[in-house]
Amino acid sequence: MNETGFVDVELVSETGFNSSPVTKGVLFRARKSAISDVGRFEMQSKDALLKYQEFFNAAYAEGTIDRKTKHLIALGASLAAGCDP
Amino acid sequence: MEARFNSDERKRIREGISEKYKKVAISPEGKFSYPTGRAGLEGQKYNPDVLRELPKDVLASYCGVGNPFSLGPVNKGEAVLDIGCGAGVDTLVAAIKVGPEGKATGIDLIPDMLKQAKRNLKKTSLENVTFQEASAEQLPFPDGTFDVVISNGVFNLIPDKAKALREVIRVLKLSGRFLLADQILIGETPADTESMVKNWAG
Repeated sequence: MNETGFVDVELVSETGFNSSPVTKGVLFRARKSAISDVGRFEMQSKDALLKYQEFFNAAYAEGTIDRKTKHLIALGASLAAGCDP
Repeated sequence: MEARFNSDERKRIREGISEKYKKVAISPEGKFSYPTGRAGLEGQKYNPDVLRELPKDVLASYCGVGNPFSLGPVNKGEAVLDIGCGAGVDTLVAAIKVGPEGKATGIDLIPDMLKQAKRNLKKTSLENVTFQEASAEQLPFPDGTFDVVISNGVFNLIPDKAKALREVIRVLKLSGRFLLADQILIGETPADTESMVKNWAG
């Protein structure tokens, strides 16, 4: 079950009823993950996003040039480069 | 277990199961060593309040190896799929548990079992139940349809179990639960395919 993508796979108990000498009755519980494949991808790229956010925050931090001016420069640069809004 | 049967072997498995369960559809009593009928349900601690809502002859058609509802709650408003519903008793129990805002769907491969399930449904006043013929290896539902998938004594009969499990995952919503009662092999798997086919169809 784990191989097919279930999580929290659990053999909860045996039922005590066996239909043949080589089988036994069992109760299994499993769950589908709470995150989709897309979500899983997002989690994997979470570190990269965090690093980018750090860079973004550092670049726009108040310094010799104030935050507002930096944003206006960025806007001007993006318009000149033809970026979509 | 991987599917390693050719189409002829798969056909024989299907026919063998079909023959066996045609008899079960008429009356499960005495066909198996495991629990059947009302006594079977009570023995496995199905909720007595729920059982009281079903007619006696519906309960009599129960045949299962365990109580999937003992594995966790099935809540009001949820959508439940019962794979290999047989005469549909578990599906009807699920329908009572989810209430009118929820829905219960039973699928089975054997037309005679489905007829029995539909007869059982008619004996109740439940309006949130659907029975349809379908294979567990190819579920006729969109992705993320169900909150809960239950199955009782059926996965052992499915030739391609991995495929069926992937189908369960597909039709479950995110965080959806799979509650399974079944028989598993504890001895050696027969070495040759011929014995394996007989095991299934016998």
